[in-house]
Amino acid sequence: MDFGFKLSPSSAINLDKVDTEKFAELHRAEPDVYKCMACGSCTSTCPANRFSGMSVRKVILGLQRGKEKEVIAMMKNCMLCGKCSMVCPRGINTRHLILSICRIYGEDMK
Amino acid sequence: MRERFLTGYNDFVLPFVCGMLFVLGYCLVGLVRIIMQLPAEDRKKFFISLITPKTLLKNIKDIFLKCLIHVDIWKRNKLLGYMHSSIAFGWFMLIVVGHIEVFLYTSDLGAKALYYPIFFRYFVAETESTMKGALIFFLMDFFLLVVLSGIALAIIKRVRSRLFGMRRTTNPSFLDLIGQYSLWSIFPLRLLAESFTADISGGSFLTKSLNYVFTEFLSNHANMLPAWWAYSCALGIFFVVLPFTRYMHIPTEILLIPFRNAGIKIVNARKGFAKAQVYSCPSCGLCIDACPMGVLKGNIKDTTVYLNRQIRRNNEARIEEISDKCLLCGKCTAICPVGVEGDKLRIAQRSVRKYNFGSDYSNISASEEILRCNKFVNNNNTSVSNPDKERVLYFAGCMTALTPVIRKATESILSKAGTDYEIMDRDGGICCGRPMLMAGRFDQARQLIEKNTEIIMGSGADTLLLSCPICYKIFREHYALPGIRVIHHTEYFDELIRTGRLDVRKGGTRYVFHDPCELGRGCGVYDEPRNVISSAGELVEAAKNRKESICCGGSLGSLTLSFDKRKAMTENALANLTADSPDEIVTACPLCMTTFSRYADRPVTDIAQVLDKCSGPGRN
Amino acid sequence: MKENIVIIGGGIAGLEAACQLLDLGYKPIIIEKSDHLGGHVADWNCLFPDMTPAGDIVSALISKAADANIFLNTEISFVNKLQDSYNIMLSNGISIITRIMLVTTGFSVFDASKKEEYGYGVYDQVITNKDLEHWFNTGDDRRVNDSAMNAIGFVHCVGSRDEKARNSQCSKVCCITAVKQAIEMKQKFPEAMVYCFYMDLRMFGKKYEDFYISAQRDYGIRFIRGRVSEVSENIDGRVIVKAEDTLSGKPVKVTLDLLVLMAGMVCSQDSTKVANMIKLPLDSDGFLKSADNVADIIDSPKEGIFYAGACTGPKTVPETLAEARAAALKIHLYIMKK
Repeated sequence: MDFGFKLSPSSAINLDKVDTEKFAELHRAEPDVYKCMACGSCTSTCPANRFSGMSVRKVILGLQRGKEKEVIAMMKNCMLCGKCSMVCPRGINTRHLILSICRIYGEDMK
Repeated sequence: MRERFLTGYNDFVLPFVCGMLFVLGYCLVGLVRIIMQLPAEDRKKFFISLITPKTLLKNIKDIFLKCLIHVDIWKRNKLLGYMHSSIAFGWFMLIVVGHIEVFLYTSDLGAKALYYPIFFRYFVAETESTMKGALIFFLMDFFLLVVLSGIALAIIKRVRSRLFGMRRTTNPSFLDLIGQYSLWSIFPLRLLAESFTADISGGSFLTKSLNYVFTEFLSNHANMLPAWWAYSCALGIFFVVLPFTRYMHIPTEILLIPFRNAGIKIVNARKGFAKAQVYSCPSCGLCIDACPMGVLKGNIKDTTVYLNRQIRRNNEARIEEISDKCLLCGKCTAICPVGVEGDKLRIAQRSVRKYNFGSDYSNISASEEILRCNKFVNNNNTSVSNPDKERVLYFAGCMTALTPVIRKATESILSKAGTDYEIMDRDGGICCGRPMLMAGRFDQARQLIEKNTEIIMGSGADTLLLSCPICYKIFREHYALPGIRVIHHTEYFDELIRTGRLDVRKGGTRYVFHDPCELGRGCGVYDEPRNVISSAGELVEAAKNRKESICCGGSLGSLTLSFDKRKAMTENALANLTADSPDEIVTACPLCMTTFSRYADRPVTDIAQVLDKCSGPGRN
Repeated sequence: MKENIVIIGGGIAGLEAACQLLDLGYKPIIIEKSDHLGGHVADWNCLFPDMTPAGDIVSALISKAADANIFLNTEISFVNKLQDSYNIMLSNGISIITRIMLVTTGFSVFDASKKEEYGYGVYDQVITNKDLEHWFNTGDDRRVNDSAMNAIGFVHCVGSRDEKARNSQCSKVCCITAVKQAIEMKQKFPEAMVYCFYMDLRMFGKKYEDFYISAQRDYGIRFIRGRVSEVSENIDGRVIVKAEDTLSGKPVKVTLDLLVLMAGMVCSQDSTKVANMIKLPLDSDGFLKSADNVADIIDSPKEGIFYAGACTGPKTVPETLAEARAAALKIHLYIMKK
């Protein structure tokens, strides 16, 4: 399986069309979501990564780029073990972030 | 003895009778509802336990010791214990002796039985000149004095709680205050009322003496009725507000104890056993001082006593906030005198949260995972190659992957002891499921448990060794691993030393042991790590240890506490550990170790490191 | 000129300031805790971007500052505030009365063992940038195995930009130091693969970018944008590093013979100790607080007390020297005004 974000003309991200409302709600629930500096620590430490490509970094980026579907597919394998919160240099509460995403975003997303 | 009134009735009994009937009715309805809310299986278990002599006896014993004598509070603080048992036991004895008195002196009561034991002195004049009379009068006055002394202490406690070993107490709600003031006034009013009648109906050292001392006032029988009215009103008010105040714990606790002894667990977040726990909370506030989050003033309202209050009020927003913030260290549960399980109650609240999507681990292949740790099975993957020898499967756990020093030291000890071992998660394993469980997502946790069970059962091991207490707890409680011994590394090391498989040289370092929440309170492992440390050096104790050990603050239990808010808790826990100035802080949990070493002023090590440093292969 | 000027710390900032003050005709007093002058720079081998030998810089400074009163192996026991001056008691029993102090206590190298996941002190192949410079200088470190050096990794930002390590600031010089050390290692072991694991490369200084280009073009050093999260050991004792290659969005794993942790700069305990004694405030990053972070970086909020160098935050060598000169001038003007 491959959930990386490939850039091809048809899948170009159009920021004008990205729905920012849900992300704003997520930001209210977990303000630290904007602190991510995309270092990738969470990805490489994640035990679910080898099964579904789960990466909190990609989740945060994907939600801001309108890639909800890919994000939810990745998150299906999250075990909530908290390793990502342990290694995050910015001290983001990733477990609360993940639970908030599960609450705010849904399967019926585009 | 003589009946003073032919009718045996006066209007002043009405407030009491109404209040009494109301509270009895309320409790009866509540009792039936709670029992009906239990799952059918639990209900059956409960009824069976009520007729099983062993649990029945235990119920009676527990109710007597806990509800009346308050032994747990005595163990904590003598003065606080006396305050509680004097009011509870004293009042109980007043009721018992009152009934005996009524039984001895009157017959054919009818409806009067409702209030006669309470207002006996008003209706019946009795002589204290016989031995029987004197004794009963004395007992009644004595227990009244006991209760009064308890009430006096309760008033002092409101002002100076520190005298009772409590730094902080609960902020009472409005109705709690009404209940409290009416309770406080019941007994002085009773004393006053009985003193009025002491020269007519008799009395003992307290009532009679008062009657003599205040001759002008108390011997003027014109003033008698208002006092009896006031006494009855105080009782009536207390009973009417009781269901809506913390005093509801008095009847509920009598139900909670048989529930607990029947082995019932929380299933529904708000109903049945959970409800019984919430209503059993006496709002004593012992959990406020115990809570590790309490070092920050802003967290005081997030302790278990306030959770119970908010659940009773159905304040959903606050229930969610309080439940999600908690570190789940379990200390409030450990010290709660009535046995409210603050941690389990919170997990239950988390479990009712609605999520739009869950997890699906069906793409994880357990058989592929087994191939990564299949040392003990034969090539055809069907049988164990060495069935008679010990075969240890070491599950280091997610957190240990971030503290490689623990895994390295453990492996080194295993080699020295000649243990045949295999690592289950060398390149990362599957989470044990405990963090998911703590978030209240039981179905997801169940899926992880199933995957890991398949891997462990397929590995051919006979022992599962863990170095992370978070994993250990769930492996012990939620996994079914027939034929496999689940053991934490502290216990395994202790065993290696005791059986002579490891030779330890004792050094002069002073170690303090931090009891990790999940290992100590969670699994009851306190002595084994101390044995190991004592054989390696000098063991000193923290100011608060064992069941009262303070959470490091790094717990995965909290969902919302952000990293920067935890610092104060860690520093407080460190101050507790270093009270006896040890050279080194030793723990047995990778998470505690990481958290402490961030702020500690001295080395923080895992027990495996300590043992590895000073051990060699043993004689056996 | 009988004015006592006390310089706390004999690193390059203290030495440079002393040289300037000597030129201006003063006789400053240098208090140094260790047994040698030159501070961290004295432990370094070469300096970027021109590979200037660090020893040359330090020895030139020491010989120029030789006329100052220098107390080695000396610490400040306590400081008493007098009417408009300070009485400083030294650990060697000497007491000095002064109204002017220059704090040049510098920084400490972050204790890399605090990042437990990197296994410093646990695995034999994990060293720090400082250990590597020591090896460049002396060739003495059993952890560096010359005979089998096939792959080397550098981890940037160890204890920098890391709230978990309680240092959220960027240590400024580690990026360029890593590039420098990577080049040096490649020069020593031309066959070895050299990887730099970085979060952001901050090549801000003079000729830094050229240096970076050279590392890529001339030395073939592989830059991987991703922070290392875990280090483990394989059976033959080599270390395995796990990171995410965030540019390809894939996790990477590589086996190395040597892993160098670029430990960052943190405020030294000596700075905090001195700050406590003279009641100087600390800034939110843990370093000493200047009167103004733009206009008056070398002024403390207290009269007569000045700063130079890394005690106010991570600095490069040229920045430190420039501050030391500025501080010397500031002290001269301060004395003249009275």
